[in-house]
Amino acid sequence: MEFQSCFDIIGPIMVGPSSSHTAGVVSIGRFIHELLGGCPKEANIIFYDSFAQTYQGHGTDKALLGGLLGMDTDDPRIKYALELAYGQGLDYTLNFEDNCAHFEHPNTTIVTARRGENVVKVGGASLGGGLSKVFIIDGKTVDIRLSTGEDLSVIAKKYPQYRMRKVLMGDV
Amino acid sequence: MEIQSMKELIEACESEQKTIGEIMLMMEAEKSGRNKETIISMMEERLIKMKEAVDNGKKDTSAAPSGISGGDAVKMSEYERSGKSLTGDYISNAMTFSLATSESNARMGVIVATPTAGAAGILPGVLFSLHKNDGTFYKDLVMGLFTASMLGYVIANRSFISGAAGGCQAEVGSATAMAAGTIVELKGGTPKQVVHATAIAMKSLLGLVCDPVAGLVEVPCIKRNVIGTSIAFAAADLALAGVESRIPCDEVIEAMYKIGKEMPRTLRETALGGLAMTETGKRVKEELFCRKT
Repeated sequence: MEFQSCFDIIGPIMVGPSSSHTAGVVSIGRFIHELLGGCPKEANIIFYDSFAQTYQGHGTDKALLGGLLGMDTDDPRIKYALELAYGQGLDYTLNFEDNCAHFEHPNTTIVTARRGENVVKVGGASLGGGLSKVFIIDGKTVDIRLSTGEDLSVIAKKYPQYRMRKVLMGDV
Repeated sequence: MEIQSMKELIEACESEQKTIGEIMLMMEAEKSGRNKETIISMMEERLIKMKEAVDNGKKDTSAAPSGISGGDAVKMSEYERSGKSLTGDYISNAMTFSLATSESNARMGVIVATPTAGAAGILPGVLFSLHKNDGTFYKDLVMGLFTASMLGYVIANRSFISGAAGGCQAEVGSATAMAAGTIVELKGGTPKQVVHATAIAMKSLLGLVCDPVAGLVEVPCIKRNVIGTSIAFAAADLALAGVESRIPCDEVIEAMYKIGKEMPRTLRETALGGLAMTETGKRVKEELFCRKT
């Protein structure tokens, strides 16, 4: 039972064009933003399968960066996230792979992000309808449901061990 | 309370003497701990956003950033007002509203996913058409959104609702099925009739592949939303006439799941098959991405 609420079905209120390739990805980015306590300075993004094939058309890259910058799914600035990331000094790299070894779903991403001395490596899948799931953090299997109706900062606060972790650059 | 199948849903409606929409509202209140007034006002907000997307899209003649969609809602709206439409007011109005919403979506405008953004045109299309043609009150349309979400909730938990997971049958198929059932409930049909309409609509779209040109939610997605509204009205009419689906709705959903699992990766939103790989589809992709990268 991945879907728990009527608002998982009717909603989110979001900028287009895709709930799984845009809105759900904003939430994954936003969760990382909240884990790090702000906008990361560096991000290495891997897009798998369907994300890798269609990210340009769906603005999946804009969605993830928008989330990393702290935006919500209905933020009209998501359209300009590439320029805004540059403006905020967020350095990112995009990489593409066929299938994710950690989670079987076509809409999967793994993001390694650094803010100051904190680094997190988060794997997320966008399940459809804007609902996402974080399945791995720093190599540990987790099952964190990200619904756009919920406050992601509250969810992220439940995982302080990842927020406080300090890792030297190049360690991840 | 937890509803896991259409069979359980009909039983709950009968034992509680409630509509499907009311059952969803009750379940949401129980699960979320929010009171019903708050939940209703959250749903109202979604209806208002849907209306804004329709209003914005209906008069916007601009093309999407891709250049491959946009402006058709205005054309359809003018044609429909000429009184020459073959499909009649209900369907032709729904088609206009659906085009308006899906074109807004392609412009990266604000829409409400129902259940996804790729299928966001169908439900607002039929709801605002009912409002226009029947004078269905907005407060009833809000209850209709609870009906739709209950149907979508069962489908999503038993199968899938994204094109990447199960093809377009999961996306436009689920949205059309939800819309068909919602029309029936708003027109006073019984929960059983609602579920038959849902099954009939879904059966009509089984096997539909997800093959967006250049991976954009535009071609053929926008027109599939538009046609979805006509299937929703047709399925609703059948159910209201007393016609039943020979295959129970839960089994139709199961079939949709199995078909989606068997669908090759090329036809599940990877833009590697179907219309995306036609001569024109490939040319559009090349032109678009050469320009951007």
